[in-house]
Amino acid sequence: MSEIKALTVPKWGMAMEEGTLVNWLVKEGDEVSPGDEVAEIESSKIVNVMETHVAGTVHRLVAKTDETLPVGGLLAVIGDKDASREDVDEFIASFKTKPGAVPARDSEAPAPKQADAEPGQEPRREKPAAASASSSPAVAQPQPARGGIPESLQSGGDDSGVAATPHARRLAEKHGINLTNIKGSGRHDRVTVEDIEKAVSAAGGSIAVRREGRDEIRQPASLADDSGVPATPLARRLAKQKSINLHDCRVSGSRSRVSKADVEALELRRRGGGRVGDAHVAGVDGQVVEEIPMSGLRQTIGRRLQQSKIDIPHYRLVADANLDALLALRRELNDSLSEANISVNDLLIKCCATALMQVPDCNVQLHGDTIHRFRDADVAMAVALDAGLITPVIRCANHKGVAAISNEARELVTKARAGTLKQEEFEGGTFTVSNLGMFGLKQFDAIINPPQCAILAVGAGEERVIVKDGEPEVAAMLTLSLSLDHRVIDGAVGARFMQALVRVIEHPGLMSA
Amino acid sequence: MAKAIRQYDVMVVGGGPGGYVAAIRAAQLGLKTAVVEEKHLGGICLNWGCIPTKALLRGAEVAHTLRHMDRFGFSADNIHFDTAELVKHSRNTAGKLASGVAYLMKKNGIDVIDGRARLSGKCRLTVERDKKNSEYRADHIILATGARPRELPGVAIDGDRIWSYFEAMVPESLPKSLLVIGSGAIGAEFASLYNDLGVDVTLVEVLDRILPAEDPEIANLARKLFEKRGMRIYTGTQVNEVNKSGNGIECLLKGEDVNESVTVDRAILAVGVQGNIENLGLEELGVETDKGFIKVDEWGRTNVVGLYAIGDVAGPPCLAHKASHEGVVCVEKLAGVDGVHALDKNNIPACTYCRPQVASIGMTEQEAKNAGHDIRVGRFQMAASGKALAIAEAEGLVKTVFDAATGELLGAHMIGPEVTEQIQGFGIARTLESTEAELAGTVFPHPTVSEAMHEAVLDAMGRAINQ
Repeated sequence: MSEIKALTVPKWGMAMEEGTLVNWLVKEGDEVSPGDEVAEIESSKIVNVMETHVAGTVHRLVAKTDETLPVGGLLAVIGDKDASREDVDEFIASFKTKPGAVPARDSEAPAPKQADAEPGQEPRREKPAAASASSSPAVAQPQPARGGIPESLQSGGDDSGVAATPHARRLAEKHGINLTNIKGSGRHDRVTVEDIEKAVSAAGGSIAVRREGRDEIRQPASLADDSGVPATPLARRLAKQKSINLHDCRVSGSRSRVSKADVEALELRRRGGGRVGDAHVAGVDGQVVEEIPMSGLRQTIGRRLQQSKIDIPHYRLVADANLDALLALRRELNDSLSEANISVNDLLIKCCATALMQVPDCNVQLHGDTIHRFRDADVAMAVALDAGLITPVIRCANHKGVAAISNEARELVTKARAGTLKQEEFEGGTFTVSNLGMFGLKQFDAIINPPQCAILAVGAGEERVIVKDGEPEVAAMLTLSLSLDHRVIDGAVGARFMQALVRVIEHPGLMSA
Repeated sequence: MAKAIRQYDVMVVGGGPGGYVAAIRAAQLGLKTAVVEEKHLGGICLNWGCIPTKALLRGAEVAHTLRHMDRFGFSADNIHFDTAELVKHSRNTAGKLASGVAYLMKKNGIDVIDGRARLSGKCRLTVERDKKNSEYRADHIILATGARPRELPGVAIDGDRIWSYFEAMVPESLPKSLLVIGSGAIGAEFASLYNDLGVDVTLVEVLDRILPAEDPEIANLARKLFEKRGMRIYTGTQVNEVNKSGNGIECLLKGEDVNESVTVDRAILAVGVQGNIENLGLEELGVETDKGFIKVDEWGRTNVVGLYAIGDVAGPPCLAHKASHEGVVCVEKLAGVDGVHALDKNNIPACTYCRPQVASIGMTEQEAKNAGHDIRVGRFQMAASGKALAIAEAEGLVKTVFDAATGELLGAHMIGPEVTEQIQGFGIARTLESTEAELAGTVFPHPTVSEAMHEAVLDAMGRAINQ
């Protein structure tokens, strides 16, 4: 029998439990070899391009755009060119997700047993999970019988306290499912999309996960020649201008032809809402508005920060620090070291690491109901890219010299811009420094990047008149604003950290103490 | 408010084959990139080196073919040669390619900054144009400023009677007689070019053989073939004095057995190149240099943070393909690309486009012995190559040097027709770490000049078929 292999949702990092298919980069019938890019997968953190580890013909794209699957879930079936449709159907029907069985960064799940059968040996005919007679794509994604959401899952009190993945929560909200009725099986017993599917199915209902979200909007455009599709001349021209294939338009007008309204309606569906015409003109004063769809990364950033603002009781501490001593140290180091070009930000990272060692209760992450307190300070720094924000991490900054931190920071920033950062280079972090000083801002507040519990917002260093011993004096001053998670760090603890930080900035010799 | 400073991820100083290639790679990786160029995008290679000389050498080849047309049954009289036309072809070729580079910069979104750059601090550049300065900052600055002709004490390039390669490339008319000082790749090419165009050429080399970087066996054959064409060659000889005399120059040649004065119309000084390291602000930053070149590690990094050097200015071999390769390696390394390999300087082919051409890669026979290898050497004379005979270019030699124990191809040396197009075969073999067995087992097409490569491998194994 021909060899058939599964392409499954990869596990990118410890925290990843499920992934959403953003886009297929291959189509059925394509030949792929290991290393080829096959799909864009979005985790709760990033959108990344997935490469295949197996070679062969793409027989079936099982997952649909915007479908969310658990790690190890079946995305596609790849196999020998001569594998028959029946073989593929059989394979899909018998495929079982094995959560946790998939090693990190590995997109190749072990194929089910019968695919490995000896050549010529008939596969064992297990009872397929879904009818396999038909070779329609419906078989590719076995769905339980119709029935909607059983009432038993809809009732219940406030479920906002139930731990759930962002995808699962969205799905539950959309279908009116109360999460108190679902038993979570994810990390720290969080409810996953799969848990909801199982619960609905067990209660005799059905839920179409793949129709959740934006699938209507993202339906792939037809590529076939549409010159034979009846359409009004205006609709034809309009469709051409908007790169719309007339095959995709639903005829609603008279005389069975695609009309202007039909073309605009399709455009509306693809954009997922809004009034037709919004893309071009809007606003009371005739202002021209450009509509820019949010990229996957933008949406991810937005979701995470919104979640942070909702979940985390932020409070802020603001302090001024005298920069004179730090600037003098910087000059001295830069004048004497040709192998480093140290910035104020590099020094602040080291200062933070030093202060975190003095107040370890701020060197923490919150996971569920558990606080993780770290021995070393992994300081993340916010880097602005055109596509969005990324926070590469300087590991063990408490153990590193300022020159080493500076060179590592430069390397990480360049990698961030080149898109070559590895997962482990921007994941984790026990504290974040965000610096907008280069824009001349005096002060700003930052949103905590969970599971971290604190973020420092750094303004511009500037000369200010201060009062010292009753006399006015000019000094280089810096305003720091620290955002903290009150669930984990109380005001007094945060204040102690801020005090320690200002002290090390003003007495930088403490960095080497 | 401080003066506006433009900021880049990567700035490249110099738009030659090292610099522009490095800039494109950086832009491909998504880095904000600029190139600072004082004169010509494309650098010496495109404008005054590799490419325009090949255009001239093609003319020399035509002259050679016409001279021997009777061999193929042709005869003609009143053949006329217009120097200006050939020079025009050469300049047009250079111009086309230079505008091609400008297009590539634009296509890749690279800012091209006209002017002369100088380091004004770590990660900082000042660019001067029309006496106005602009300030720039970049996390990574790559120096790709190239090299220029080296001068000899007592022999100053005046651009009139004593030429560098610049003047030698755009002669208004052909001199009757020419002295070429230095017989490396540049000297040998110009000697061959002018000789084919009918100029009386004398070639002087201070070392004991011409083409001193090549295997002596190859170099000696080249000398024999040059002399057969009527070139006078002095090795182990210095040019001590050059004086104007009438319309030409009188040169005093001095060597162990030589002490004579020759009078020629023009001289070309081709005694190598020196790195363009001046007025870059290197001293103020404490950038380490060595023998006129910037000191770098295998990734092009200097001793100063964020500062890199590639190509000629980072040291020999001063070759365009080495510069381009170094540019890519340097950028990929600083951008954190996976699996970057440092350039193996032992695997850079060297090509000289004289007639016949010379090409080599890896160690010479002597270098291999000095390195302690027990070696097996194979040779094949072009005189036994059917294809070389058919095209009436049957002068040449292919020589292979293998490690006797491991079968590693340590070096390959070729002289003959179009060998510069063939040496990459041995280069690939070395990159893939082929032994003599894989090379022997490769089917070479018949009839080709490249069959000589196969035979030279077989000969090293004692299995040569056609000799």
